[in-house]
Amino acid sequence: MDFESNYEISRTADFIRTRNFTKVALQFPDELLKESTRVAKALRNELGKGVRLYVMADAAYGSCCVDEIGASHVDADCVVHYGHACMSPTSTLLALFVFGKASIDVNACAKSLRHCLSTANKPILVLYGLEYAHALENLKTVVAELLQLSVSNSGVHFAEVACSSINPSGDKMTDKKQLYSHNGVSDNEEVHKYEDGNTSLISVNCNTLEPCTKYSLGGLIWTMPVGHKMEDYLLLWIGSENPAFTNVVLTFNNCEIVRYDAEESNLLKDFADQRRILKRRYYLVEKAKDANIVGILVGTLGVAGYLRIIQQMKELIEGAGKKSYTLVMGRPNSAKLANFLECDVFVYVSCAQTALLDSKEFLAPVITPFEAVLAFSRGSKWTGEYVINFQDLTASTTSDVVNDTEEARFSFIQGGYVEDIRPLENGGEHKETSLALAEATEKALNLQNQCTDSVLFKGKATSGAEFFAARSFQGLNMQYENPLPQSYVIGRTGRASGYEDEK
Amino acid sequence: MVKFTVEELRRIMDMKHNIRNMSVIAHVDHGKSTLTDSLVAAAGIIAQEVAGDVRMTDTRQDEAERGITIKSTGISLYYEMSDESLKNYKGERNGNEYLINLIDSPGHVDFSSEVTAALRITDGALVVVDCVEGVCVQTETVLRQALGERIRPVLTVNKMDRCFLELQVDGEEAYQTFQRVIENANVIMATYEDPLLGDVQVYPEKGTVAFSAGLHGWAFTLTNFAKMYAAKFGVDEAKMMERLWGENYFDPATKKWTNKNTGSPTCKRGFVQFCYEPIKQIIRTCMNDQKDKLWPMLQKLGVSMKSDEKELMGKALMKRVMQTWLPASSALLEMMIFHLPSPSKAQKYRVENLYEGPLDDVYANAIRNCDPEGPLMLYVSKMIPASDKGRFFAFGRVFSGRVSTGMKVRIMGPNYVPGQKKDLYVKSVQRTVIWMGKRQESVEDVPCGNTVAMVGLDQFITKNATLTNEKEADAHPIRAMKFSVSPVVRVAVQCKIASDLPKLVEGLKRLAKSDPMVVCTIEESGEHIIAGAGELHLEICLKDLQEDFMGGAEIVVSDPVVSFRETVLEKSCRTVMSKSPNKHNRLYMEARPMEDGLAEAIDEGRIGPRDDPKVRAKILSEEFGWDKDLAKKIWCFGPETTGPNMVVDMCKGVQYLNEIKDSVVAGFQWASKEGAMAEENMRGICFEVCDVVLHADAIHRGGGQIIPTARRVIYASQLTAKPRLLEPVYLVEIQAPEQALGGIYGVLNQKRGHVFEELQRPGTPLYNIKAYLPVIESFGFSGTLRAATSGQAFPQCVFDHWDMMSSDPLEPGTQAAQLVSDIRKRKGLKDQMTPLSEYEDKL
Repeated sequence: MDFESNYEISRTADFIRTRNFTKVALQFPDELLKESTRVAKALRNELGKGVRLYVMADAAYGSCCVDEIGASHVDADCVVHYGHACMSPTSTLLALFVFGKASIDVNACAKSLRHCLSTANKPILVLYGLEYAHALENLKTVVAELLQLSVSNSGVHFAEVACSSINPSGDKMTDKKQLYSHNGVSDNEEVHKYEDGNTSLISVNCNTLEPCTKYSLGGLIWTMPVGHKMEDYLLLWIGSENPAFTNVVLTFNNCEIVRYDAEESNLLKDFADQRRILKRRYYLVEKAKDANIVGILVGTLGVAGYLRIIQQMKELIEGAGKKSYTLVMGRPNSAKLANFLECDVFVYVSCAQTALLDSKEFLAPVITPFEAVLAFSRGSKWTGEYVINFQDLTASTTSDVVNDTEEARFSFIQGGYVEDIRPLENGGEHKETSLALAEATEKALNLQNQCTDSVLFKGKATSGAEFFAARSFQGLNMQYENPLPQSYVIGRTGRASGYEDEK
Repeated sequence: MVKFTVEELRRIMDMKHNIRNMSVIAHVDHGKSTLTDSLVAAAGIIAQEVAGDVRMTDTRQDEAERGITIKSTGISLYYEMSDESLKNYKGERNGNEYLINLIDSPGHVDFSSEVTAALRITDGALVVVDCVEGVCVQTETVLRQALGERIRPVLTVNKMDRCFLELQVDGEEAYQTFQRVIENANVIMATYEDPLLGDVQVYPEKGTVAFSAGLHGWAFTLTNFAKMYAAKFGVDEAKMMERLWGENYFDPATKKWTNKNTGSPTCKRGFVQFCYEPIKQIIRTCMNDQKDKLWPMLQKLGVSMKSDEKELMGKALMKRVMQTWLPASSALLEMMIFHLPSPSKAQKYRVENLYEGPLDDVYANAIRNCDPEGPLMLYVSKMIPASDKGRFFAFGRVFSGRVSTGMKVRIMGPNYVPGQKKDLYVKSVQRTVIWMGKRQESVEDVPCGNTVAMVGLDQFITKNATLTNEKEADAHPIRAMKFSVSPVVRVAVQCKIASDLPKLVEGLKRLAKSDPMVVCTIEESGEHIIAGAGELHLEICLKDLQEDFMGGAEIVVSDPVVSFRETVLEKSCRTVMSKSPNKHNRLYMEARPMEDGLAEAIDEGRIGPRDDPKVRAKILSEEFGWDKDLAKKIWCFGPETTGPNMVVDMCKGVQYLNEIKDSVVAGFQWASKEGAMAEENMRGICFEVCDVVLHADAIHRGGGQIIPTARRVIYASQLTAKPRLLEPVYLVEIQAPEQALGGIYGVLNQKRGHVFEELQRPGTPLYNIKAYLPVIESFGFSGTLRAATSGQAFPQCVFDHWDMMSSDPLEPGTQAAQLVSDIRKRKGLKDQMTPLSEYEDKL
């Protein structure tokens, strides 16, 4: 596919020109970085000298999100995001998305689709990776020809791309939910306003005038007549097995799903791995219920509403009688997380497609805000529903009425009832932190050495201070046995990968 | 047909000297429940006529169908002694009325946790032994458990009817059999010498052994016969009792007692002459319907029959006659009343076993004195499902004070630590209830020394707890029960319909509560796991879960899963090194297997993290040949900080080492929980930290750098030390006649089991076989064995030890490798083990 159309140079240029932007940041994921200079050059040729272009790469968080912090370093007017995108709403900057165009054999795909339709006696809903959005119109025509019917009543429904640019929503709550009409990806000239970042999926925007329900997930939107449930449809996903697909599987875990792999041109039906993810997440929620100290990991500085959700998480955790610490550490890895041994669980606030972090290497589980809500609000039960986007959480959780039966909580990790620290009894907790530290130290000194093991390694600590007090090493001694300075010794030389005396 | 009212019963509950709390324990199928029923019949809850046919204590339908007891059942009985029979009673008493709180327990080994729970709340035990089969495994296990809890035993030799009807053995032979049974039991009891409890052995001549036929509802102790003959011979009862057992012979021809058999044909052992033969005669006469002979004989014995009973024929007649002559209830109940301790007597010495706190505080004293006015000390030993779905009675024993309806109590759970708020609740008792067979009766309050069921506490107690008065903040809890079996067999359950998940969760919660042994947990993969003591136990649990606790919602049950352990065979072939993510820190480590018996010592708690290092060093150097200095350098145990693996510091003069200790320990806790091969727990591995290179800046040697590195180096050292799998092994005990032996050996061989003991039971055609059988092979073992021996062999399996599998799991194609790959598949891990190169770094 030729360079010009793949990177949509002319459309991008038009987009910038019509808005009179003078500073534009071009954000590339690592795998496309090698093309960045060509793209920048091509754009410069189109735009002329008046516009300054900056190439951004190596985003602090997922490359699918718009790196607003990076762009604001150069005070850019807008960001053009290349490659795979999660389409999370931005908070301050206008963003244009160029998904790229992956090749697809439209005829083979249409045939597979027909095969699906004939075997499953359900209508089909076609969802796809955004890199295949360009082929949608083509596919529709081919399918219509193949089925000898018009697409609308063939029982095949297609999701549409919501928009290819996102207006910032700010970090304020707008109750007005507006979703302007559009004709899909082909209509690029039109500016799509996308006001409050509501990529709601189940929290349905039900319009009584039009008898349909709107769904949207990961940049795709589709409608469904009222009365139809998602379970009534067979979902066909065109694209690779990426986080976007995992999100679809998790969110619609009740639906029958097949995947069409465009590279191999074949249909796949076995998603045991993805189903397993759901069960694994369930385990993590159970584990989180036992936690005393929760670390909130800030996994985005751009996605609209992240500050609000962090605040909400803090309140939730405090309400559950647990202690929370907010940590900003860029993209989490095992070494970074292990620096916070006292945290029994981490809540990762990030965009939908980087939200599921799970690795054998992590010492403590990392859960999403939705899972945190399940874990930390008493009496909530997992019914199978799964919400990945944290924006959808803000609305749904506040109405949660917890019917507190005063029953002790049953922990499946420990196989028995456990006493949670009741938030009410913790009224005195709002003391000075320094005082708490002193108290915890005192308590630790009073208790025999024995309890430190359970505080350190079994998650019995209730605050960072208590954990610190239990540690066997608490920093250097202020009083040295020998106050005289020691004589110097010759240290090692060389590099860490192999010092000179080791070669 | 309740003979007494609740008010009457409640009145006796205050007379602490007139209460007997006792459990009935025995091997499976030795007739506990049947015998219990004849006692219940005497207390008047069911009609006298049906005793022996209806098992009153087996309240569950499946119990009735299978003919085994699954749950222990408590019943309060009332018995009034005559002045005459009490005249020899030396202990304190309060009138002639007695209250007996009896608990019938299951005999199958899978349910021994029920026995444990029953023993905790009783003071005495009626040990039932089949006169033909003798003392079996489970008899021994439960007897040991009882003695460990300081429960005083009395014995009954049961199924006497088999001697007379089935085997038709003559008197002397029968005596020898009984004598052997009693001796075998005494051998076990003799090992428990306890100055406070005194002599716990049983002697027929002292009246602590009864002879019973539960099915026919009759029983006697030598006291019965001694009373009968004492007048005739003109000696006192005690003297007569002695003559009726042991080496005392009587020759009716000479009318002389001798100490050995004179050889004259009429000279017979006292027991045979005066006890066995008369019974035999009566039974024979009844069976032959020789009524003309029978009536005069009965008249001589002072037994009068009702006229309609006289119409009975054969077996029915025999049963009726024997029940009238030697009613089981009076013989057994009198034996219990005479020889088992009252709560006030028993708690004097049991307080040491029971109370965790200082033995001189107010609570210990109240327990010791069984003081109804003292502070409440109540131990909840089990939860009993109530008739309204989902709720439970908390069933237990009041050790001191009294518990009343509406009272606010402090609930101290098993994890409660005095002075802290963990696992502690203050709630009020909605209702106090006493148990009478199938009926529950509400009472205002229950004083100490009695068993009680409480309503309204079930949402705070998983399995057991200690209750005290609301204000008694400094009371320590009563010691937790120690179970003789462990939950080694596990299944994964999930619901057929995903949206039933909340039902499943709720059901599992209730299941965990309803059974003292079952453990409901969740796996890393998100599967719900039910762990039980054996196949039968699990089967019952699953049935309960689905039918009672989930309202019939469908569940999918996996095949039984056995958990393995990972260990090492040799010392690591080299010192392995791993670098931290920033490459600035290096850990050098080696793994080696622990000395034989050390892992077990840690399991038992003889060695653990809480020991005084000096004591620990002493044990390690004396028993396991450790260097004394080295023993002080143990950093930690794991997993869960108490497990049977450890890290030992072998470094010399390393800077900042103390700084990374916590991080290494954290890495070790994590790694020892999930071994390198199949993420099973490690067992019996000692990790030696050989050397450490650390970055000079503290910021570069923080937890984030060290913890993952410690984990990697531990895995690397495990993999270089010839890793092996340990599988759990059952001790199987089988009792079968000789002709079934061939079948038994065949099945055992096929299931990788091996026999290590085969003994013929003296005086019987039965063989006792002991064998080891891998737990993983035990599924369906009972069935196969039954089929192979045409139903003559019945195995009892108890978890015994971990056994190393000889094959190398790292070598493809071996049995161990196959197992590892199966486990990994089930856990959803990558099929291939992570190779050593991922964990080990090279310079």
